[in-house]
Amino acid sequence: MALTLTYQTALVLEAIAAGRHHGFDIMDATDLASGTVYPILRRLDHEGLVRARWEREAVARREQRPPRRCYELTAAGEASLAEARARYRALVKLAPHMGRRLKPA
Amino acid sequence: MMSRFALRLALRIVRAVAVLVPAAARADWRREWEAELLYRAAQLEPAPHLTWRTNMDLISRSLGSVPDAAWIRRQFTLDADAVHDVAHGVRMLLKTPGFTAIALLVFAIGIGAATAIASVADALFMRPLAVRQPARVMTVWQYNRETGVGRLDVAPGNAIDWLTRARSFEAAAMAEPFTFNLNFAGREPDYLAAARVSEQFFTVLGTPVLHGRTFLPEEYRRGGARVVMFSHALWRNRFGGDPSIVGTSVRLDAGDAYTVVGVMPPGLELRFFSDSARLRRPETLVWMPKQGFDEAESKNRAGAFWNVLARLRPGVSVDEAQAEFDVISTQLAREHPQTNARIGAEVVPLRAHLVGSLRDVLPLLLGAAAILLTVACANVANLLLARGAMRGREFAVRQALGASRVRLVRQMLVESLLLAAAGGALGLVLARWLLDIIGRLRPADIALLDHIPIDARAAVIACGVTIAAALIAGLTPSLQLSRPAAVNVLREGRAGSRRSVRGALVVVEVAAALVLAVGAGLLVRSFMLMQRVDPGFSRDDVSVLQLFVSPRLDTPPKRIVFFQQVLDRIGALPGVVAAGAVTSMPFGEARVIVRGPLAIAGRPPASGEEALAYTTAVSGDYFRAMEVPLLAGRLFDATDTAASRQVVLVSRRAAQQFWQGADPLGSKVRFRFSGKPFDAEVVGVVGDVRHEALNRPEAAEVFLPYSQSGFHTLAFVVRTAPGSPANLQALKDQIWALDPLQSIYDAARLEQLISKTLVGPRFNLFVLGGFALATLLLATTGVYGVMSFSTSQRAREFGVRVALGATRHDIVRLVLGEGLKLAGFGVIAGIVVALPLTRLLRSLLFGVTATDPVTFVFVSIALVLVAAAACFVPATRALSVNPVEVLRAD
Repeated sequence: MALTLTYQTALVLEAIAAGRHHGFDIMDATDLASGTVYPILRRLDHEGLVRARWEREAVARREQRPPRRCYELTAAGEASLAEARARYRALVKLAPHMGRRLKPA
Repeated sequence: MMSRFALRLALRIVRAVAVLVPAAARADWRREWEAELLYRAAQLEPAPHLTWRTNMDLISRSLGSVPDAAWIRRQFTLDADAVHDVAHGVRMLLKTPGFTAIALLVFAIGIGAATAIASVADALFMRPLAVRQPARVMTVWQYNRETGVGRLDVAPGNAIDWLTRARSFEAAAMAEPFTFNLNFAGREPDYLAAARVSEQFFTVLGTPVLHGRTFLPEEYRRGGARVVMFSHALWRNRFGGDPSIVGTSVRLDAGDAYTVVGVMPPGLELRFFSDSARLRRPETLVWMPKQGFDEAESKNRAGAFWNVLARLRPGVSVDEAQAEFDVISTQLAREHPQTNARIGAEVVPLRAHLVGSLRDVLPLLLGAAAILLTVACANVANLLLARGAMRGREFAVRQALGASRVRLVRQMLVESLLLAAAGGALGLVLARWLLDIIGRLRPADIALLDHIPIDARAAVIACGVTIAAALIAGLTPSLQLSRPAAVNVLREGRAGSRRSVRGALVVVEVAAALVLAVGAGLLVRSFMLMQRVDPGFSRDDVSVLQLFVSPRLDTPPKRIVFFQQVLDRIGALPGVVAAGAVTSMPFGEARVIVRGPLAIAGRPPASGEEALAYTTAVSGDYFRAMEVPLLAGRLFDATDTAASRQVVLVSRRAAQQFWQGADPLGSKVRFRFSGKPFDAEVVGVVGDVRHEALNRPEAAEVFLPYSQSGFHTLAFVVRTAPGSPANLQALKDQIWALDPLQSIYDAARLEQLISKTLVGPRFNLFVLGGFALATLLLATTGVYGVMSFSTSQRAREFGVRVALGATRHDIVRLVLGEGLKLAGFGVIAGIVVALPLTRLLRSLLFGVTATDPVTFVFVSIALVLVAAAACFVPATRALSVNPVEVLRAD
């Protein structure tokens, strides 16, 4: 893969893999600023490592808010993450802490 | 309350930033950001303690939308520009189909040739070999310390000593090539190339077998089981690739049963070629264990036909191994001065051995391919420039409207990349075709070239070549055309003069064409001179059948009787003028050369090379069949039988070498042939015959009657009346009429055999000549293109001249003059470059020097004439200019 994965990109991938599918949730999990997370997401989307789709209307209506945008890893994204894990050993240790929190702290 | 305010502010920020996002993506972008902000605010709502910190967080997050929007905008423009450039490029190329077709073709020729040659280099030097750690696998050869001729087969005695003495190797083995007779019911008897190998052979290779196993230690002992391994090719082609063949027994040779214990892996191109005989030695199909060395083998240091293969011990370099072999050779020379005084040992890495004679030629071919590619690029650059001049207005307008220079350069590069990509695809087809031809014409000793696939590796090579070509061809025109001065074009309504650049490109093309044409010319002259060499015999209307006697004819008398019967039958065929047979057939497919020391009674013994002569047994009318002249004395006749006194003929060269001007007739000579001592009287002197190749000198040769030797192999030589019906099949039938199981090693016309030794020169000639022709063609179109463009640009000027009274003659001279000036500069530049370069060809030349003036002058004149012809069409077109029309236009 020609794409170079920075540590921050790897963190974003790791967060998505850990079940954080929304922009702001990814920020919470990675402690990165929105001005960092979003361009990373755009790039990953552009290069086919993540797929973006809209949350189903029904879910959003039930919670009385507009639908959010969800990001999911593609197969290429999974592969890149595996590569990133090999490169950044610390990621593996971080991963368990990124899991979805059901309620905000 | 506080959170409400913060949320409103954050939403407002996002709404403002949304302006930055390209309209197509704006709505989605806003929805995403708003949804996230609202979701976050909703989660914070019920919390009791809302601090300024959580509110600030919301606002700072919304500010992150700025870099996000900026990123999207940038990407959007990049994508749009790229798409636009490509679309525009395609449109422009389709608008000028003639230009596009020519540029495509030129690119295809350049890229195809470069890809083919680069693939050859890749196959020879980069592609992995089918052995483990190939860099450690060595071949060891004899070389002649006096003449420096190397890569010679190894005498059994020397090979056995090498294997026992050398310490540089962790494993070393010998291979003894031989042939099997193979009889399948209902098929003509055939032979199989086989090899006996010693114990560590498979350790040296280090590759696991495909099926079954390799030989067991006890199978290498004398009297061990009869076992064979099949090569992958034999297993697949004759046994249908059936793995169950392992463990079965097959009948080979005289009907003996051999157990098949294994199948070799594919891709093991293990052919051994010595440099002395650049002939196609067939791929080994059957492998057998060498069951011990016998007495005669360890004593045989003259008849060299074995090969040695070894794996370096870890930490030992090739040079160290070579140094050890130098020491061993010196020891052997001291122990056996009679035979080994001049024999050295040469350690050659397997890869280098497989590259073979192409190692000298490949750099030249790569150079030629690079020159061809450069000329192709110059040609396309020229075409792009010419077209660019027509598009001057387009560029000027785009520049005036604010297109940056980078943008224009990129546009031009995209167009040349499009051309190169399409040309490259076409080039791959061309490369496939070229590789097929190369595989067919290849010199015999380069097995790696047989099937070079067009695969991912070739595609990578082609891509690299294509991108390089696109950049080279595109950069000059794009920089030229995008010059800010192009704005002037708007005002003048005419392209500015770019003649100097285009002229320079033509000079380069002509010079490159001259360099290649001179190289090819030298090869052509060498080839013609080589073909004109008199081999000492007449090659027309002669058929040659070479055979190794079947094991049933196990004694010399049986062989003598059998071969005499065959000769009698052949001699009785209609149309046969003379029929004979010989043990060492000049240019024969199987090289059987018996060489040994010759002692002359009453003369001091010569030493070293001077004491050696070819010893050859002949039968029937051999000399008449070959038309080798009798210079003195008599030929053999029916009175020379096994029972009569021993007699020999000597070649003129032998007479000079051993008798130094004295008359050899009546002298007594002593030598050994096929293990037997001979003490014979010289009864005649015959003409010299070349044996190995037309460009190798004759050697001293002594002939004895076959009836006095009964050697195990013989080649029939049959001269037929021109246009007679006796063909090869009729000759084979005579042999099979006597023994239907006798296999025939090779049947061919003598001309074909000679032609085969010219394979190497012919290959070089074809490839370099092909490149030269292609370059010449491109250079010619280059001259033509520039001249027709320049005349069309100068139509106005010509109109004025004609109006002022210039004659047709004047106009033609004007155009021709301009073209010839460019060609002249090109020729001079080419000669200056070619003079030092042709020296690289020296090892390939025969009978001409690298600076052969005839070739240089001839090629220069030819090139100028071709350039003149290329100028002629534009010149006549200039004549058709109607002055009134031209002056009225614009």
